[in-house]
Amino acid sequence: MKALVTLFLACGALLAQGLNPAKLGAPPTDTWPTYNGDYSGRRYSTLAKINQGNINSMSLAWVYRANGALGGGPPGGRISATPVEVNGVLYFTMPDHAWAVDARTGREIWHYMWTSHGGEHIGNRGVAVYGNWLYFLTPDCNLVSLNLKDGSERWRKTFCDLDQYYFGSMAPLVVKNHIITGVSGDDLDRPGYIESHDPETGDLQWRWYTVPQKMGDPGSETWPNEEAMKHGGGMAWLTPTYDPELNMIYVPTGNPQPVIAGKARPGANLFTASVVALNPDTGKMQWYFQSSPHDTHDWDATQTPVLFDAEIDGKKRKLVAQASRNGYFFTIDRATGKNIVSTEYVKVNWSKGVDAKGSPIPDPAKDPQLDGALVSPNQGGGTNWPPPTYNPDTGLFYVNASRAFSMYYIYDASDKPEGWGGNDRGGWGETMIQAIDPKTGKVKWSHKWEDGGRSGLLSTAGKLLFAGDGSGNLVALDPANGNPLWHANLGNSVTNGPITYELDGTQYLVVAAGDNLFGFAMLR
Amino acid sequence: MRKGIWVATLLLAPAVGMAQQPAGAQALQKVCSDCHAVETVTGQRRTRAQWQESISSMIARGAKGTEEEFALVLDYLTSQYGPAAATAATAGRGGGGAGGGRGRGAAFSPGSADKHVVDEAAATRGRAVYAAECINCHGTHARGSDKGADLIRSEVVLHDRYGSTIGPYLKNGHPTQTTAAARLTPAQIADVSHTIHQEVYNTLRSALQIQNVLTGDPKAGAAYFNGEGKCATCHSPTGDLAHIAARMDPPGLQQRFLFPGGRGGGRGRGGPVGKPVTVTVTPQSGAPIAGTLVHLDDFNVALRDGSGEYRSFKRTAALKVVKNDPAQAHHDLLDHYSDKNIHDIVAYLETLK
Repeated sequence: MKALVTLFLACGALLAQGLNPAKLGAPPTDTWPTYNGDYSGRRYSTLAKINQGNINSMSLAWVYRANGALGGGPPGGRISATPVEVNGVLYFTMPDHAWAVDARTGREIWHYMWTSHGGEHIGNRGVAVYGNWLYFLTPDCNLVSLNLKDGSERWRKTFCDLDQYYFGSMAPLVVKNHIITGVSGDDLDRPGYIESHDPETGDLQWRWYTVPQKMGDPGSETWPNEEAMKHGGGMAWLTPTYDPELNMIYVPTGNPQPVIAGKARPGANLFTASVVALNPDTGKMQWYFQSSPHDTHDWDATQTPVLFDAEIDGKKRKLVAQASRNGYFFTIDRATGKNIVSTEYVKVNWSKGVDAKGSPIPDPAKDPQLDGALVSPNQGGGTNWPPPTYNPDTGLFYVNASRAFSMYYIYDASDKPEGWGGNDRGGWGETMIQAIDPKTGKVKWSHKWEDGGRSGLLSTAGKLLFAGDGSGNLVALDPANGNPLWHANLGNSVTNGPITYELDGTQYLVVAAGDNLFGFAMLR
Repeated sequence: MRKGIWVATLLLAPAVGMAQQPAGAQALQKVCSDCHAVETVTGQRRTRAQWQESISSMIARGAKGTEEEFALVLDYLTSQYGPAAATAATAGRGGGGAGGGRGRGAAFSPGSADKHVVDEAAATRGRAVYAAECINCHGTHARGSDKGADLIRSEVVLHDRYGSTIGPYLKNGHPTQTTAAARLTPAQIADVSHTIHQEVYNTLRSALQIQNVLTGDPKAGAAYFNGEGKCATCHSPTGDLAHIAARMDPPGLQQRFLFPGGRGGGRGRGGPVGKPVTVTVTPQSGAPIAGTLVHLDDFNVALRDGSGEYRSFKRTAALKVVKNDPAQAHHDLLDHYSDKNIHDIVAYLETLK
């Protein structure tokens, strides 16, 4: 037995330079090799050394202070990146910064600082790793490749135009020999797009615009004219998920532009606020499902499309589910795009039901108004970018949700409003974890937070669901019923999605709160 | 030159982070950094009204803080990141380099770090040029017409700095070379560039304001106040709400009764003072302890009792915790108001001058 272990470790050592691509498709154990842990977006770990029985023995192993990093991290920043862990090293980002940190001890290995030329610094979701190389996006529109070993820069490629107020925030996704990236930005009326780059050279392989580029193209029938369409927004803020068998990536797209005042863009505004299946080799669209037709509330649909299989009406189906920012939960056949479930996971007041394709029908009375319209969810949404989790043991989909109200106003009543032309104001709401049965869309249990709570989630085979509340606590809940089992106050709300991995027989749990990264472990 | 400024900025930044922070900076950090980097805010230059607007918008997005904290944040942002700071920041762009000194400067807001900074006086001068030479085809707000392109969405404009691309385009690329546009002086081109960039910035999310919320029927509002809304249970037009409309503008009134805990915006203060959320904690054995709620989560509860003493408890099945939010009736109404009810109430409150 011991010999076997030794042999295994020796093999591990041989592979230590770089990432074995096979790891990307498997449930993560000794590695967390990509933004969501694996391609499915489930953020579920089969590890169970930390479990319901022993969670109270879990201890803090280390803290890494990004703010105190040599050379200076951004003061007052937050880590919203999900770290990637490869061969015992954690790689993560903040806007303009990338780090390599020892996954066992939290010791810094290297810190890379980018000299910025601007761009929105709202957050950076992390890195992608391919072979010996790391990839991340900068706020000033660059795709940067670093050497995993020492953080030295290999190359940089501009992938968007800063003058058009685009910026980079998503964690790139590696699919075969493609580095998939997308643009962020919803200030000016520009088209969103997602791209594929060559992992060796960074050269562009393909670009897919999320809005049609000329009249007559599929989706153009949902726009009044080419001018509105080509400036119609739909940013690709979030890392897609991927089904290797179907060879499809699932891309969630952002809100249309102009954001609030939608008068000059009547129609559903495809393919904004949608989940779109693309061929990762060509960028060709396979199908789409629109979560928010003609959105006027800044409800992008850039929430993780989570992939899993389940039996529906006696047949095993390949599914994708999304808890969307507009308050709706959708389950879709991921081979065909056919809708199976559309339900409200938080009560909404803006919809007149769903259409034949399963998309909600917006109530025009709840479009933003000159004198204000009371709308729920608010602009923050039923949920936002923080990742949800699907747990195959319970068959439930968990999301940190919010039921909030605000007043939506039109500020610009002209015939051709541009940019925003309005906004929402004020607000009251409550937050909770919703555990949703994706086969029916019904909320099986709900755990209300007393005060805020908008972190990413993680579930494990140890019968644990990890989440952040609004009081700075990292909380482990029972995924069967939502009962809190354990907590630790981190002094700042959890700002990313927690991850877990096992090294040398020890299971670690790593989570960010503000500019600190915490490593917990079952050290006993 | 630009490179030099950048080096200076990066060198200064860590020092900024380590210095003893004023209360406003601490509040900013506490309230805002859960959801976004503080640089997202401090890269911008705004007036007090604009900062209030931003804060309101953030509250709508879920920002959590006390009234005091939001007031501290507003004061801090206004003093440190007001329009005057913008002048200092932009001064560094062309020479001197001093502009990079405060935090990270404009670099961390959307767009390029060297984005066009509008000179209001030049934009005003440019408006006359625009009206004479451009408005017929490009429209009042440069958003185009059947006769001319939308300039707000033009890449020539978005890449322009002080006439750098607009100027050559007018001389060589503009389709109506016979018009006066091609004969503009460099100074006129710079001025009109300021005007057009100003129009671009006017489309950004924080650029504009609420127009008019006074569309309801005051009689229907009074009926709702005294009837279905049960507002009269706690409030009186001759008591706590007397002359309320003299102290708050209509958007302020609307936000205040919808979201009494928030600072949704609008002008004027001096509305009814919000009562704090209270809590009563009853241990298994012993008398109930009541006070102002300080903190409540799944694991602990903290309050300040009548004598001002801070009390904190571990939550257990045996410990009874009852929270009392005096604004709960307002929260409950959110599920019941129609938009017409809301507009009627505003119209009614506006009569209480």
